[in-house]
Amino acid sequence: MFVGGGRTRGAGGMKDGDAVLVPPGLPAAWAAVTAALVSPAVPPSVPDDTISDALALLCEQGLAQYVEGWLLETLQVRLTTDVAPEFWSNLEQPKGDSQEKDRARCLLDAFRTLLLRLEPFLGGLEQLGSWQDEGRGGLVGPGAHGLRERAFSVIRAILLFSPQPVLQKRVLEFYSRTFSVHMSQVGEGLEVEQGAEEADGACVCPGCATPPQLCWCKEALEQLQELSHILSRLQLLGRVSSEAVTSILHRLIEERMEQRCRGEYENSFLADFNEWLEQVLGWLSRVFASEVDEAGTDSVAAKGKPDQPGSAILQRWRCHMHQFFCRIYVNMRIDELFSIIRDFPESIPAIEDLKFCLERTNQRQQLLTSLKSAFETRLLHPGVHTSDIITVYISAIKALRELDPSMVILQVACQPIRKYLRTREDTVRQIVGSLTGDAESSCDLANELSRADPVTLETQDSEDEGSDPDDWTPDPTDALTDKTGSKRRSSDIISLLVSIYGSKDIFIDEYKTVLADRLLHQFNYNTAREIRNVELLKLRFGESIMHYCEVMLKDVADSRRINTNIHEEEAHLPVEEQPSIPLSSMILSSEFWPQLKEEKMELPAVVSKAMEAYTHRFEKLKAMRTLSWKPHLGSVTLDVELEDRTLSNLSVSPIHAAIILHFQDKGTWTLEELSGVLGVSQELVRRKLALWQQHGVVQEEAGGRYSVLETASSKERPERAVMLIDSDEEGDSNTATQSEQREEKLQLFWAYVQAMLTNLESMTLERIHSMLRMFVATGPGVTEMDANELQAFLQKKVRDHQLIVSAGVYRLPKSTQ
Amino acid sequence: MKVKIKQWNGVASWLWVANDENCGICRAPFNGCCPDCKVPGDDCPLVWGQCSHCFHMHCILKWLNSQQVQQQCPMCRQEWKFKEGETS
Repeated sequence: MFVGGGRTRGAGGMKDGDAVLVPPGLPAAWAAVTAALVSPAVPPSVPDDTISDALALLCEQGLAQYVEGWLLETLQVRLTTDVAPEFWSNLEQPKGDSQEKDRARCLLDAFRTLLLRLEPFLGGLEQLGSWQDEGRGGLVGPGAHGLRERAFSVIRAILLFSPQPVLQKRVLEFYSRTFSVHMSQVGEGLEVEQGAEEADGACVCPGCATPPQLCWCKEALEQLQELSHILSRLQLLGRVSSEAVTSILHRLIEERMEQRCRGEYENSFLADFNEWLEQVLGWLSRVFASEVDEAGTDSVAAKGKPDQPGSAILQRWRCHMHQFFCRIYVNMRIDELFSIIRDFPESIPAIEDLKFCLERTNQRQQLLTSLKSAFETRLLHPGVHTSDIITVYISAIKALRELDPSMVILQVACQPIRKYLRTREDTVRQIVGSLTGDAESSCDLANELSRADPVTLETQDSEDEGSDPDDWTPDPTDALTDKTGSKRRSSDIISLLVSIYGSKDIFIDEYKTVLADRLLHQFNYNTAREIRNVELLKLRFGESIMHYCEVMLKDVADSRRINTNIHEEEAHLPVEEQPSIPLSSMILSSEFWPQLKEEKMELPAVVSKAMEAYTHRFEKLKAMRTLSWKPHLGSVTLDVELEDRTLSNLSVSPIHAAIILHFQDKGTWTLEELSGVLGVSQELVRRKLALWQQHGVVQEEAGGRYSVLETASSKERPERAVMLIDSDEEGDSNTATQSEQREEKLQLFWAYVQAMLTNLESMTLERIHSMLRMFVATGPGVTEMDANELQAFLQKKVRDHQLIVSAGVYRLPKSTQ
Repeated sequence: MKVKIKQWNGVASWLWVANDENCGICRAPFNGCCPDCKVPGDDCPLVWGQCSHCFHMHCILKWLNSQQVQQQCPMCRQEWKFKEGETS
């Protein structure tokens, strides 16, 4: 049938000639040539000489050029009418629930048939090409190479013009299978074990997932080789298999990554994966076996490097796979980055892997966005304790400076954290506390501080300049273009934390407060640790700013000396003149300590007398100086001896001691009486009494009277105690809190605001804010005050009826104008 | 009931017994120190003149050294004489 078709076309060609002039022998020559082309036999059925003559004749008649066209045309017709439909139907052959093995064979068979059908044409093409190359009988044309190109374009075009999904499916299935066969053979140990486990004891070949007796691993590999050979012969290899291979690789890398790496930050996976990728390349070299060989020989010929294993095609696939791997890895780690940061430093291997991969994929922006939103949803909400936020922030600093030495990611991603921390009131106190090793969990920061690279905040710029100019690298493009310039590079944890507030003054002020608190809570005069902290902070922030803290510590040392001095003096006194209570004192230089809470309190006579005596001795010791006592501050150690029991070594505050001392003189007191003798409010007395009620020393009786419980007969007190415990929890701190201090600063503005409103009658919030900025620019507090804070402050004034607000405009009430 | 105080740790701040808050020369509080000093108290004492004005010792000494002709109290322009026995 085929040959007949050819003849028909040939006859058609002759008809054209017929119309003009038919030289003798022309039809015979045409027949000889076409026959030689479509059924090349070995040995050639038509003798070489005949062909040459025939070709010469055809050329003479100007018909030779049609031979080429005729051959391609025939190929095309043949493909469309028979070969392609046959191929597709072969492919569909095993209907329904056929075995995978059968489907694989069917795939191969389809391609075999395809090759078989096309083989004659390919042979003919070669033949024609070689004639053209030789220029036999004056034949001209594109030559063997050009012809092949054309023919294969025709084949690809017709066959794959509308490829049916079944091909893709079959190829994918087959490749997946051969892949697992290959991997099971190469990566024996691990994979085999896993396969066996997954199969749950039932013995199954890890390669082809069938019982051993039915194993077709070997067969599959042979089929693979043949298929790849056929495809490469037809130049269809790239078309047919690339997509399948790509998707298989993608899926496998993803699967493997999910299995091995997700949630696992403590191991590096790069080396592991590289090894695995090499194994995969082994499979790829099978898939592209023939092309590899071809290219391999090419390169041998061209470059003379016989043992270059990876040909260009494998090299390309290696790059692809690497790219896949990096991208998938980065995607996964981006999702997990928050957890990775939280687990730092255990997660260093993951960070290093990520850094490696991130440099190869363009996903920094994605990473930034994702990390930022992770921070916002998981960290920056009211449910998280400030110290936890700070801990994560510190981890983030450490982790991100590993990840991105240019610090740009750090700076951009952590912006929300810094902004949020600024809104938390206890941030500074937390930082200071952890910096100086107050809380147990915070040795981290304390270590950081004691690493003591004496980088002060100011000299960072010069430090940058000091580095080798050859090492300079430009900022990544996603760097913020802000004024801070090289300052943003700072990765020093302490500078970063301190600069949350933009100035170190607030930080130092808070440290002063914390230090004062600490010194006034422990009266052992042991300041070794605090001295060390102050010295470390001095290295960081400079001498001058820590000066106040030094004076505070010196006060402690001086106090101890004065106490010893005074106690020695007292020891020499006759017994009756010795003070009734052992009194020591912490003597402060008031100008250098933070503002202490002012409270008035009358101490019992016995105590105030002791204080007077102490003051007297102090005045003798230090001429022209005297003491001003803070009666509510300090601590008292005392024993309470009751009829049937003794509470010993209670450590209480002075007001507690004062109360119980009063009960010593008189068994029963009312709140008013106590409040009268102590000079404090009844409310405070009631709260302070709770401690003694809790200890079961004092009980409340009817009529608001309190009396001493000499015998512990009544056992009702425990429930009571539970109820009262909380009532004594008020301000542990001796110093005014930060917000109180701030309030005071704001109070300063009130005068300005009043003056402005008196002159301008009414102003909007923005106006007031900008005016304040302009006028009070010198003060430290203004620049840091934002409009919200001012609004809150003004609202408070409105509530106090000192201001009126209407339609967003503030004015003074009539009476004050 | 008997309460036995074993130890009373009080807190007090020291201050100069002076008739003013601030030093008339440096305007810093007496209880602080003069601009040249870091530590108040013993290291930066006050001195009294016979005119009963008092200053940081360092401040008045500097002042007196800068006076060419006659040494006067910067407050009342009387001749400056240290009040004996009151400097520490």
